[in-house]
Amino acid sequence: MIEMAVFALLAVLTIVPAALVVTVKNIFHAALFLVLSLTGVAGFFAMLGADFLFVVQILLYAGGITVILLFVVLLSGSPKDWLIRQMNEQWLGALAASAVFVAVLAGLFQYLPGPESISAVGPTTELLGVLLLREMVLPFEAVSLVLLAALVGAVLFTRRGEGK
Amino acid sequence: MTLQAYLLVGAALFVIGLFGVLARRNVLTVLMSIELIFNAANLNLVAFNRFAHPGQPWGQGFALFIIAIAAAEAVVGLALVLALYRNFRTVLTENFDLLKG
Repeated sequence: MIEMAVFALLAVLTIVPAALVVTVKNIFHAALFLVLSLTGVAGFFAMLGADFLFVVQILLYAGGITVILLFVVLLSGSPKDWLIRQMNEQWLGALAASAVFVAVLAGLFQYLPGPESISAVGPTTELLGVLLLREMVLPFEAVSLVLLAALVGAVLFTRRGEGK
Repeated sequence: MTLQAYLLVGAALFVIGLFGVLARRNVLTVLMSIELIFNAANLNLVAFNRFAHPGQPWGQGFALFIIAIAAAEAVVGLALVLALYRNFRTVLTENFDLLKG
Protein backbone atom coordinates (compact mmCIF):
# COMPACT_ATOMS: atom_id res chain seq x y z
CA MET A 1 0.00 0.00 0.00
CA ILE A 2 2.74 2.45 1.03
CA GLU A 3 4.87 1.16 -1.84
CA MET A 4 2.04 1.91 -4.28
CA ALA A 5 1.67 5.44 -2.90
CA VAL A 6 5.41 6.12 -3.12
CA PHE A 7 5.47 4.75 -6.67
CA ALA A 8 2.55 6.95 -7.73
CA LEU A 9 4.19 10.00 -6.15
CA LEU A 10 7.51 9.28 -7.90
CA ALA A 11 5.73 8.66 -11.21
CA VAL A 12 4.04 12.06 -10.99
CA LEU A 13 7.33 13.69 -9.89
CA THR A 14 9.08 12.15 -12.91
CA ILE A 15 6.56 12.44 -15.74
CA VAL A 16 4.90 15.81 -15.08
CA PRO A 17 8.19 17.81 -14.97
CA ALA A 18 9.42 15.79 -17.99
CA ALA A 19 6.33 16.86 -19.95
CA LEU A 20 6.93 20.45 -18.80
CA VAL A 21 10.57 20.26 -20.01
CA VAL A 22 9.38 19.74 -23.59
CA THR A 23 6.41 22.12 -23.49
CA VAL A 24 7.38 25.10 -21.34
CA LYS A 25 8.46 28.25 -23.18
CA ASN A 26 11.25 29.49 -20.92
CA ILE A 27 14.28 27.21 -21.38
CA PHE A 28 15.72 28.22 -18.01
CA HIS A 29 12.57 26.83 -16.39
CA ALA A 30 12.84 23.75 -18.62
CA ALA A 31 16.33 23.06 -17.23
CA LEU A 32 15.01 23.44 -13.66
CA PHE A 33 12.12 21.05 -14.40
CA LEU A 34 14.70 18.61 -15.75
CA VAL A 35 16.31 18.54 -12.27
CA LEU A 36 12.95 17.53 -10.75
CA SER A 37 12.38 14.80 -13.32
CA LEU A 38 15.89 13.35 -12.88
CA THR A 39 15.40 13.36 -9.10
CA GLY A 40 12.22 11.33 -9.64
CA VAL A 41 14.21 8.76 -11.63
CA ALA A 42 16.71 8.66 -8.76
CA GLY A 43 13.80 7.82 -6.47
CA PHE A 44 12.88 4.91 -8.75
CA PHE A 45 16.48 3.68 -8.55
CA ALA A 46 16.18 3.71 -4.75
CA MET A 47 12.89 1.76 -4.96
CA LEU A 48 14.57 -0.82 -7.21
CA GLY A 49 17.37 -1.35 -4.70
CA ALA A 50 20.07 0.33 -6.80
CA ASP A 51 21.54 2.41 -4.00
CA PHE A 52 24.78 3.30 -5.76
CA LEU A 53 22.96 4.42 -8.91
CA PHE A 54 20.65 6.54 -6.73
CA VAL A 55 23.63 8.49 -5.38
CA VAL A 56 25.28 8.75 -8.81
CA GLN A 57 22.03 9.98 -10.36
CA ILE A 58 21.66 12.76 -7.78
CA LEU A 59 25.35 13.75 -7.87
CA LEU A 60 25.99 13.52 -11.59
CA TYR A 61 22.64 14.19 -13.26
CA ALA A 62 20.66 16.38 -10.90
CA GLY A 63 23.87 18.03 -9.69
CA GLY A 64 26.51 18.10 -12.40
CA ILE A 65 24.88 17.91 -15.82
CA THR A 66 22.04 20.32 -15.05
CA VAL A 67 24.46 22.89 -13.61
CA ILE A 68 26.46 22.81 -16.89
CA LEU A 69 23.15 23.01 -18.75
CA LEU A 70 22.10 26.09 -16.76
CA PHE A 71 25.50 27.70 -17.41
CA VAL A 72 25.10 27.19 -21.16
CA VAL A 73 21.49 28.44 -21.07
CA LEU A 74 22.76 31.65 -19.48
CA LEU A 75 25.79 31.96 -21.80
CA SER A 76 23.93 31.38 -25.08
CA GLY A 77 21.49 34.21 -25.54
CA SER A 78 19.76 36.85 -23.48
CA PRO A 79 16.54 36.46 -21.47
CA LYS A 80 14.51 37.93 -24.34
CA ASP A 81 15.42 34.87 -26.44
CA TRP A 82 13.54 32.77 -23.89
CA LEU A 83 10.26 34.42 -24.84
CA ILE A 84 10.13 33.38 -28.50
CA ARG A 85 8.13 30.45 -29.88
CA GLN A 86 9.84 27.20 -28.87
CA MET A 87 8.03 24.64 -31.04
CA ASN A 88 9.02 24.19 -34.69
CA GLU A 89 6.59 23.72 -37.60
CA GLN A 90 6.73 19.93 -37.35
CA TRP A 91 5.40 19.70 -33.82
CA LEU A 92 2.10 18.18 -34.98
CA GLY A 93 3.98 15.50 -36.90
CA ALA A 94 6.17 14.92 -33.86
CA LEU A 95 3.06 14.51 -31.72
CA ALA A 96 1.66 12.01 -34.24
CA ALA A 97 4.93 10.04 -34.29
CA SER A 98 4.97 9.95 -30.47
CA ALA A 99 1.34 8.77 -30.43
CA VAL A 100 2.15 5.97 -32.88
CA PHE A 101 5.06 4.96 -30.66
CA VAL A 102 2.77 4.90 -27.61
CA ALA A 103 0.32 2.68 -29.53
CA VAL A 104 3.10 0.25 -30.53
CA LEU A 105 4.40 0.08 -26.94
CA ALA A 106 0.88 -0.44 -25.56
CA GLY A 107 0.45 -3.31 -28.03
CA LEU A 108 3.73 -4.85 -26.83
CA PHE A 109 2.94 -4.67 -23.12
CA GLN A 110 0.52 -7.61 -23.22
CA TYR A 111 3.38 -9.94 -24.19
CA LEU A 112 5.39 -9.16 -21.06
CA PRO A 113 5.58 -11.88 -18.40
CA GLY A 114 3.39 -11.30 -15.40
CA PRO A 115 4.64 -10.10 -12.00
CA GLU A 116 7.13 -12.43 -10.38
CA SER A 117 8.02 -12.88 -6.76
CA ILE A 118 11.22 -10.99 -6.08
CA SER A 119 13.77 -11.18 -3.32
CA ALA A 120 14.24 -8.52 -0.66
CA VAL A 121 16.03 -5.29 -1.55
CA GLY A 122 19.65 -5.32 -0.49
CA PRO A 123 22.60 -2.99 -1.01
CA THR A 124 24.33 -3.61 -4.35
CA THR A 125 27.29 -1.23 -4.11
CA GLU A 126 29.74 -3.99 -3.17
CA LEU A 127 28.48 -6.31 -5.93
CA LEU A 128 28.71 -3.46 -8.43
CA GLY A 129 32.27 -2.62 -7.39
CA VAL A 130 33.38 -6.23 -7.79
CA LEU A 131 31.66 -6.41 -11.18
CA LEU A 132 33.30 -3.19 -12.40
CA LEU A 133 36.82 -4.25 -11.43
CA ARG A 134 36.52 -7.87 -12.48
CA GLU A 135 34.24 -8.76 -15.41
CA MET A 136 33.75 -5.20 -16.66
CA VAL A 137 37.29 -3.93 -16.21
CA LEU A 138 37.92 -3.41 -19.94
CA PRO A 139 34.82 -1.23 -20.54
CA PHE A 140 35.66 0.52 -17.26
CA GLU A 141 39.07 1.56 -18.61
CA ALA A 142 37.57 2.40 -22.00
CA VAL A 143 35.00 4.73 -20.45
CA SER A 144 37.75 6.59 -18.59
CA LEU A 145 39.41 7.19 -21.96
CA VAL A 146 36.06 8.42 -23.34
CA LEU A 147 35.72 10.86 -20.43
CA LEU A 148 39.26 12.17 -21.05
CA ALA A 149 38.46 12.61 -24.75
CA ALA A 150 35.25 14.46 -23.85
CA LEU A 151 37.20 16.76 -21.51
CA VAL A 152 39.78 17.59 -24.18
CA GLY A 153 37.06 17.94 -26.81
CA ALA A 154 35.08 20.37 -24.69
CA VAL A 155 38.14 22.55 -24.16
CA LEU A 156 38.96 22.37 -27.89
CA PHE A 157 35.46 23.37 -29.01
CA THR A 158 34.99 26.24 -26.58
CA ARG A 159 38.37 27.99 -26.83
CA ARG A 160 38.38 31.13 -28.88
CA GLY A 161 40.24 30.77 -32.17
CA GLU A 162 43.42 32.77 -31.59
CA GLY A 163 45.05 34.74 -34.39
CA LYS A 164 42.16 34.25 -36.82
CA MET B 1 5.20 -3.03 -7.71
CA THR B 2 5.35 -5.01 -10.94
CA LEU B 3 7.87 -4.83 -13.74
CA GLN B 4 5.20 -3.43 -16.06
CA ALA B 5 4.70 -0.37 -13.87
CA TYR B 6 8.38 0.58 -14.09
CA LEU B 7 8.45 -0.10 -17.83
CA LEU B 8 5.39 2.13 -18.26
CA VAL B 9 7.18 5.02 -16.55
CA GLY B 10 10.24 4.35 -18.71
CA ALA B 11 8.12 4.32 -21.87
CA ALA B 12 6.42 7.58 -20.88
CA LEU B 13 9.80 9.25 -20.28
CA PHE B 14 11.08 7.96 -23.62
CA VAL B 15 8.06 9.20 -25.61
CA ILE B 16 8.24 12.62 -23.94
CA GLY B 17 11.94 12.79 -24.82
CA LEU B 18 11.22 11.71 -28.40
CA PHE B 19 8.61 14.45 -28.77
CA GLY B 20 11.07 16.99 -27.36
CA VAL B 21 13.81 15.98 -29.80
CA LEU B 22 11.45 16.23 -32.77
CA ALA B 23 9.46 19.33 -31.89
CA ARG B 24 11.68 21.82 -30.02
CA ARG B 25 13.43 24.65 -31.82
CA ASN B 26 16.10 25.33 -29.23
CA VAL B 27 19.17 23.08 -29.40
CA LEU B 28 19.47 23.17 -25.61
CA THR B 29 16.02 21.69 -25.05
CA VAL B 30 16.82 19.02 -27.65
CA LEU B 31 19.82 18.08 -25.47
CA MET B 32 17.57 18.05 -22.37
CA SER B 33 15.16 15.71 -24.19
CA ILE B 34 18.06 13.40 -25.03
CA GLU B 35 18.88 13.28 -21.31
CA LEU B 36 15.26 12.22 -20.68
CA ILE B 37 15.67 9.38 -23.21
CA PHE B 38 18.90 8.24 -21.50
CA ASN B 39 17.06 8.17 -18.19
CA ALA B 40 14.23 6.11 -19.65
CA ALA B 41 16.78 3.55 -20.86
CA ASN B 42 18.50 3.49 -17.45
CA LEU B 43 15.20 3.01 -15.65
CA ASN B 44 14.33 0.06 -17.89
CA LEU B 45 17.76 -1.54 -17.41
CA VAL B 46 17.62 -1.28 -13.63
CA ALA B 47 14.00 -2.52 -13.53
CA PHE B 48 14.83 -5.55 -15.70
CA ASN B 49 17.89 -6.20 -13.53
CA ARG B 50 15.77 -6.16 -10.38
CA PHE B 51 12.95 -8.35 -11.66
CA ALA B 52 14.70 -10.74 -14.06
CA HIS B 53 18.15 -11.19 -12.50
CA PRO B 54 18.13 -10.17 -8.83
CA GLY B 55 21.51 -10.55 -7.14
CA GLN B 56 23.49 -9.97 -10.35
CA PRO B 57 24.17 -6.26 -10.88
CA TRP B 58 24.93 -6.39 -14.63
CA GLY B 59 22.01 -4.15 -15.52
CA GLN B 60 23.09 -1.61 -12.94
CA GLY B 61 26.65 -1.75 -14.26
CA PHE B 62 25.33 -1.02 -17.74
CA ALA B 63 23.25 1.88 -16.40
CA LEU B 64 26.39 3.25 -14.74
CA PHE B 65 28.23 3.21 -18.08
CA ILE B 66 25.28 4.92 -19.77
CA ILE B 67 25.40 7.67 -17.14
CA ALA B 68 29.15 8.14 -17.78
CA ILE B 69 28.63 8.28 -21.56
CA ALA B 70 25.70 10.67 -21.08
CA ALA B 71 27.91 12.98 -19.02
CA ALA B 72 30.57 12.95 -21.76
CA GLU B 73 27.88 13.55 -24.41
CA ALA B 74 26.39 16.45 -22.46
CA VAL B 75 29.77 18.13 -21.96
CA VAL B 76 30.78 17.84 -25.64
CA GLY B 77 27.26 18.74 -26.83
CA LEU B 78 27.09 21.85 -24.68
CA ALA B 79 30.59 22.89 -25.78
CA LEU B 80 29.41 22.56 -29.38
CA VAL B 81 26.31 24.64 -28.61
CA LEU B 82 28.54 27.37 -27.16
CA ALA B 83 30.78 27.27 -30.26
CA LEU B 84 27.70 27.42 -32.51
CA TYR B 85 26.30 30.36 -30.58
CA ARG B 86 29.60 32.18 -30.87
CA ASN B 87 29.66 31.72 -34.67
CA PHE B 88 25.97 32.01 -35.60
CA ARG B 89 24.57 34.13 -32.71
CA THR B 90 21.62 31.73 -32.46
CA VAL B 91 20.72 28.44 -30.78
CA LEU B 92 17.67 27.66 -32.94
CA THR B 93 18.03 24.45 -34.93
CA GLU B 94 16.45 25.79 -38.16
CA ASN B 95 19.27 28.35 -38.50
CA PHE B 96 22.01 25.71 -38.68
CA ASP B 97 21.60 25.15 -42.43
CA LEU B 98 25.11 25.52 -43.87
CA LEU B 99 24.83 22.11 -45.57
CA LYS B 100 21.48 22.92 -47.18
CA GLY B 101 21.75 22.82 -50.99
